[in-house]
Amino acid sequence: MHAFILAGGFATRLWPLTEKRAKPLLPLAGEPIIDHLLKHLSWEIPITVSINAAFEASFLKWKEQEHRMNIEIIVEGSRRDDQKLGALGAVAHWITHDGITDDVFLLTGDNYCGFSFHDFLSHYTPGTPLVAAHNIGDLEKAKTYGTIIPAPDSKTIEAFEEKPLKPKSTLVSTGCSVIPAAHLPLLVEFARERPDNVGGIFEEFLRRGIPVEFRAYTEPWFDIGSFEAYLEANRALVGEKLLTGKETVCEKTETHGTVVLGRNSVVRDSTLSNVILFEHCTVEDCVLEDCVLDDHCSLKGIDLNGQMLREGTVLTRK
Amino acid sequence: MRYRLLLALWLITDLLFFTGSYVLAYFLRVGWIFSSNFPLDRFLWATISAAPAWLLVLATTRTFSLTRNQQSLRNFAYLAYSALVGVAFFMLAYYFRFKGSFSGISRLLLLEELILSAGITWIWHILFDFFKRAMLRLSPPSFPTLIVGVTRESKALIESLRRNMSPFTPVAILDAHGAKEKEIHGVPVRGKLDLLEETIRREKITHMIQASGLEQTLNLLSACRHHRITYILLPSVLGIVDRDKRIEDLEGYPVTVVRPRRSEILSFFR
Repeated sequence: MHAFILAGGFATRLWPLTEKRAKPLLPLAGEPIIDHLLKHLSWEIPITVSINAAFEASFLKWKEQEHRMNIEIIVEGSRRDDQKLGALGAVAHWITHDGITDDVFLLTGDNYCGFSFHDFLSHYTPGTPLVAAHNIGDLEKAKTYGTIIPAPDSKTIEAFEEKPLKPKSTLVSTGCSVIPAAHLPLLVEFARERPDNVGGIFEEFLRRGIPVEFRAYTEPWFDIGSFEAYLEANRALVGEKLLTGKETVCEKTETHGTVVLGRNSVVRDSTLSNVILFEHCTVEDCVLEDCVLDDHCSLKGIDLNGQMLREGTVLTRK
Repeated sequence: MRYRLLLALWLITDLLFFTGSYVLAYFLRVGWIFSSNFPLDRFLWATISAAPAWLLVLATTRTFSLTRNQQSLRNFAYLAYSALVGVAFFMLAYYFRFKGSFSGISRLLLLEELILSAGITWIWHILFDFFKRAMLRLSPPSFPTLIVGVTRESKALIESLRRNMSPFTPVAILDAHGAKEKEIHGVPVRGKLDLLEETIRREKITHMIQASGLEQTLNLLSACRHHRITYILLPSVLGIVDRDKRIEDLEGYPVTVVRPRRSEILSFFR
């Protein structure tokens, strides 16, 4: 088994937080999203992370700080959103280029999965594709995801529906799956036509009569694709409390909801509600609500609501 | 550098035209002779003394600003006001220096000084503005401008900047959500805001005009501050369209004021 993490997106919807770092490197509850995936992953499984050239430096820096030795980073040549290979295209390129003959454990780098990968992989039947499903518990919410319609045996998948208007199931696809080595040539062939459609490969398996199994979980799962989803994921993981990193200062400050203070951040005389500060931020005499501040931001005497601020933003009321 | 040289040339020629218009007024009153009753050298001394003060007043009206349309009625009003102050400076200079012989300074002469200096300055400003715009747009443009937002408003603005040969030359367009168009009136649409830094550096952007993406205003301002770029906001981003709007001062706070549209003349009184 070889794990492959898709991290080649440009995350333009999360700009400016993704101006200098890829989405999987955004801090979630104090540590990068990708680290949450890695800590659930067995140390024996080799990992390949597919990234784009624009974020190469930030991934190399991340890799230096990782304790695992079996992480390989492969860089797509693309530097812009319109040049990228596509998620499935990146997998296919890796399979053909590196001559992969193992089963592939496919993960999406910007998804948080609260369930155990050990449990998931223990349900893998060799030779049968396996998909992790999250039971979102609400048909209305399921409308915005790819849904899985289970077969009567509750083990295999009958059909997939992408963002259905009337969902038949509350099971949504999580971007976590196993593709058996025997089916990799089919993946490569399919990727030539639909390089950006990862979910499509499982529909293709079904079309060709290859059974696809699933394993459903109720543990937290987040697809962090927007500012709101990012705040929600932090709220769910941190809870209604203040989470502080190393060497932070928080004086005469009122906090409400989820507040995360990154390393070396200083907050004084302020009121923070659902706020995430990355590293080296300074906030004095401010009222902030639903805000995310990138590294080295400095705010004094400012009230803000629902803002993502780019690195190095300085706002001082004189 | 090109802009600074043009500005210096503009200021110097303004001084020359101001002095020339006064000398013309002198000869129109005195006749095309050198009078001994009302000597030209005294008149010239007072004119040259008043000229820098007049230019300073003119500058405070921001008539030399890049965003000023020299042909507008509002601009003419500022020029006329400065011309009036120029006449006052001239009288004061003449009175304090030559108070023993104030003869020759007639009411008609002062009126002619006012009309000629205002009129000649306005004509010269319009002509010089054409020349300046053409010079500033020569490749590479002096003020490469980044447009943020693909909207009907921004398309109309780009067309207007091109048609009026504005010194602000759009060189690239970005859009927070991406756009289908590859170019607008010949200006390339580069992509989304993740290309902001790269575009600013590659195109050596000096001005940014925000035409959409209100939620990113703080980040665009932050980028402008970091790169020392002048930031311009289209009022349509705030939903302000087809009304009379301007930045004013409310008890020390800069505020954007939007009023029902009225005539240009009435706008001076509000």
